[in-house]
Amino acid sequence: MLSRAAESLYWMARYLERAENTARLINATQQLLLDLPRGASFGWDALTRIVGLDKLFQQNYAEPDEASVVDFLLNSQRNPGSIQSCIRFARENCRVMRDVLPRDLWERVNSLFLASRRYSQPGLTRRDRRDMLQELIYDRQSVTGVLASCMSHDVAWQFIGLGEHIERADMSTRILDIQSAVLLPQQHQQQGPAEPAHALLWVGVLNSLSALQMYRRHAASAGAGDGGITGDSVLRYLICDPHFPRSVMFCLDALETHLAELPHNLDPLRALRIAQRRTDRATAEDLGPGRRHDFLDAIQGDLAQIHDAVAREYFHLHQREAALGVAV
Amino acid sequence: MRFGTEDYQPHDVFDELVDADGSPRPPARALCEYLATLDAGEMRQRRQAIEAAIVTMGISFTTYNDGQNIDRAWPFDPIPRVMAESEWRRIDAGLRQRLTALNLFIDDLYNAQKIVKDGVFPAELLAGSRNFRKACRGISPRFGVWANICGTDLVRDRDGTVYVLEDNLRVPSGVSYMLENRMLMKSVFPEVFGASHILPVDGYTAALYDMLAALSPRLEDRPVIVLLTPGIFNSAYFEHSYLAQQTGAQLAQGSDLLVGSDDVVYMKTIAGLRRVDVIYRRIDDDFLDPEAFRGDSVLGVPGLMRAWAKGNVAIANAPGAGVADDKVVYTYVPKIIKYYLDQDPILPNVPSYQCNDEKEREFVLANLDKLVVKPANESGGYGLLIGPRSTEPERQACAGHVRADPRSWMAQPMLMLSTAPTWAGDSIAPRHLDMRPFILQSRGLYVTTGGLTRVAMREGSLVVNSSQGGGSKDTWIVGDA
Repeated sequence: MLSRAAESLYWMARYLERAENTARLINATQQLLLDLPRGASFGWDALTRIVGLDKLFQQNYAEPDEASVVDFLLNSQRNPGSIQSCIRFARENCRVMRDVLPRDLWERVNSLFLASRRYSQPGLTRRDRRDMLQELIYDRQSVTGVLASCMSHDVAWQFIGLGEHIERADMSTRILDIQSAVLLPQQHQQQGPAEPAHALLWVGVLNSLSALQMYRRHAASAGAGDGGITGDSVLRYLICDPHFPRSVMFCLDALETHLAELPHNLDPLRALRIAQRRTDRATAEDLGPGRRHDFLDAIQGDLAQIHDAVAREYFHLHQREAALGVAV
Repeated sequence: MRFGTEDYQPHDVFDELVDADGSPRPPARALCEYLATLDAGEMRQRRQAIEAAIVTMGISFTTYNDGQNIDRAWPFDPIPRVMAESEWRRIDAGLRQRLTALNLFIDDLYNAQKIVKDGVFPAELLAGSRNFRKACRGISPRFGVWANICGTDLVRDRDGTVYVLEDNLRVPSGVSYMLENRMLMKSVFPEVFGASHILPVDGYTAALYDMLAALSPRLEDRPVIVLLTPGIFNSAYFEHSYLAQQTGAQLAQGSDLLVGSDDVVYMKTIAGLRRVDVIYRRIDDDFLDPEAFRGDSVLGVPGLMRAWAKGNVAIANAPGAGVADDKVVYTYVPKIIKYYLDQDPILPNVPSYQCNDEKEREFVLANLDKLVVKPANESGGYGLLIGPRSTEPERQACAGHVRADPRSWMAQPMLMLSTAPTWAGDSIAPRHLDMRPFILQSRGLYVTTGGLTRVAMREGSLVVNSSQGGGSKDTWIVGDA
């Protein structure tokens, strides 16, 4: 398979996954706002930090208010990570790769694109936005369905899987960080983590990843007091659960399966092991309020290393060979 | 819809489906009887089914319109063009003869130039040829064949004679539409295939693979074949991706390939560099290799000509093959056939006037309002003057061009292209058409069964090029039995 082809498939999958998760992030935030206790404040600028684009945001918008941040994440042409940009890039990559992708896939991706053009309509209410984003998530799931059921699990498919799971793991760790955007009023902060306002935040996080139901069934601490929903247990579930498809560990295991089907996979597997070891050995302190943010950052760093190894090994290997004079 | 009545009457031209009285020609009889059973409503339903199938099959991307629409739909007309097998056999033989002679001619031009020395082809024409590539002198590709893929345009005049209008020897396109048109027809009109003996067309992609594989410089292994595309912004990208898919070739852009210091072409794969044996290129000579031709080309592969000249990679069509794809060279093809094969041409050329000949030039200039004047090196209907439909300022401008550079112009009498019934709005009307068969040559020769029929969708229009609003039809070669 040509390196360019592999790279296109990988990015197509990443962009689709990023669009879905950004939609989840925005929807989760909106839900959260409705549940916040009186006097709590929400820093919209934190969302741009969570997706790692705060600098780009500041260059393009004066105020980090709701309208600006949502426009930035949803529509902005100048933001390569906005949902519209992601879908546009995914569609371009899909188009270039028509010769290896199932025919239905193009139509599904194209209809995502058609729908995304409505996002910039003026005068959308929060409710319109919520419905559109929910629809996007459904459409995206039908893309996943075509890939799962109509495509050979060949080399091309492995690259799609790599892109999808790296991006999903990354975005899950970012969505977990969303609670850092909320500043609770004094009296709530003093009452500690069992405070109902905190539990609400974590319900929002679980909901945004469609994880609440599975969490209730499977999370180890789900039966404990305060509804069983604490930051520590939600983090443990979404990072270390081996069975929930949006958990970091699940995604890492999927990466291992995909890499196993590819040639010369030693370096990417080595990078993967570092991430697996970190999630395997996550301690209560790592997941606790003090270290949480740094721990999530560290996982994001590990994922970036996996990406670099994949890019080096499969997308740019020829550069190394040419430099070494192999066959040239 | 009935023929021979007020429903459909050809207008003083040769019609492919019905004769001068409006009765169906023998090979089209079954089709016409079938069409007669469909009323306007049913016909409309079939057309809707075809449009839906075009979207599903992904032939076009016109399901959106965002101002960046880089693929256009090619209008498809559901009424096929029909030809008897006996007539087709003669055309098939003529096409084989023609490409064989043209390849001998190209090989001669780049080597001994006997035809020039023997005074059959004028040296000054060769000197003035824009598509003669000096870098190709002294090279003889495998089997001595330069134009491995040729699309020859055929037209039929009022008296029923089929003429060769031009030979496309550079990067002819359209074959995927021929194949997709047949798939469409089978899915929407399956009944009618039972009523006539319609010869299949789908052997093309296997023949294309065999032709390309035979060019490989490494015969011991399964060859690695690459289809070199200029990329997604090219109007024929759909076809490139289709043919790659059908032949199992890798669809590559220039940046996917490199030439090593060993003068071998490699492609950049996930497993590292892999040797390439055959390149089916869909980009023009000018852009192939920035080291040899246009230095500003980003579409090509630096060093490709070096690798090709050493015989380490085959390129189809070979660089320089376009020297015979020139409307002035075209006028010499009957002589070229005679010279190399000692045969009379089976298929006639359209009578042509060579503007570099003083007498003929004066005739052309005096009769601009009656002739079609064509530039020698353009394709796609660009720069064409259709005399009888031109304005005085257009004719004056044309005369200026011809006087300034006679070598680059030729002229032909205006042919009244044949028509076939074509769906036009809510009724059926005659529309002019041509036919482009595709001929392959490497170890042996292959000709498509029929070809791509292109039809001018506008009433009275004689321009069938897709870039000028033409559409296409399925082409049926019907067994005589």
